[in-house]
Amino acid sequence: MSTSDQERAAAILAALGGVDNIVEIDPCTTRLRALVTDPDVVDTAALKAAGAYGVAHHGRVVQVVVGPEVDTIASALDDLM
Amino acid sequence: MAQQAGRRHKHLVVRDYLAELIATELDVGDAVPSERALTERFDVSRMTVRQALDALVAEGTLVREQGRGTFVAPRHADFEMRLTTFGEEARRRGLEPGARVLEAGTVPANPRVARALDLAEGTDVHHVARLRTADGTPMSIESSWIPVHLAPDILGDGVPDSLYAALRDVGLGPTWGEDTLQAADATTTEAELLGMTSQHAVMRTERRSYSEQTAVMFTRSTFRGDRYSVFVPLREARPMLVPRPARPPAPAPTPAALSTTPEGAS
Repeated sequence: MSTSDQERAAAILAALGGVDNIVEIDPCTTRLRALVTDPDVVDTAALKAAGAYGVAHHGRVVQVVVGPEVDTIASALDDLM
Repeated sequence: MAQQAGRRHKHLVVRDYLAELIATELDVGDAVPSERALTERFDVSRMTVRQALDALVAEGTLVREQGRGTFVAPRHADFEMRLTTFGEEARRRGLEPGARVLEAGTVPANPRVARALDLAEGTDVHHVARLRTADGTPMSIESSWIPVHLAPDILGDGVPDSLYAALRDVGLGPTWGEDTLQAADATTTEAELLGMTSQHAVMRTERRSYSEQTAVMFTRSTFRGDRYSVFVPLREARPMLVPRPARPPAPAPTPAALSTTPEGAS
């Protein structure tokens, strides 16, 4: 796993409000679907800066479109959680 | 509602019989047995026979032609949801793809297109609208938008047969994407273009195609529900990621400590 994957995962996690704000993250084929405790602390601009192609909010669920690198990002996230 | 054990609704018996007949003996365009023949064969009411026929018409297996009868409908083309174009998918199913260009030109991106392609509203985009056919039968209406700055000359020699192929030629071959599917009723214009007479159910799709990190094309399609099926390969979902429970650092248990635990593991 490259450093950039880890950096990207760390930036995404931080933008989602850090590990304390995460209830669970469901890695789909092109998206991370995160259930968060407090959706208000999620930083959409920071998610985009971290390379997200799109961000969709539905209540406490935040979908982050990351493309096919979802596998490596999910592995990196698992290490960080 | 509870059904008596061992007895099936009569219309289901008729429907199963017809489905088996269609699968094994009849060809596309063949007439199915008449309502009267079915009524006599199964000793059921005309209404029961109609219920069976209606169900097969509704799912697109049969097609009714006013005053002529009920016939085996053309098979649905099952297109796989993957990063291919209509033409590529059609050829893989042994169908000859065709297209009638409805619109082609450069337009300012409307808010929806701009959002899909991550562009500022009003940015120039190529727009191509086509009626897609398979073996000459209209199958879908497809509208695509490509940012002009990415591929300025992509429509230079007219509308290419394959937009993906044209994107590959300029080094922007799609590598991943996302589809969104929605059931809908065809508008009058759509029904006319698609040649839909009795059925009006359609499937609308939206696709964002990316070449690595760049959104290269946004496509909206309307597929006729009576001729088109979607095939989606599935795989096991990845495990959910959950934060590890924070544990206060506990002193490592010693064999002595374990043996003296009052309520130890039973």
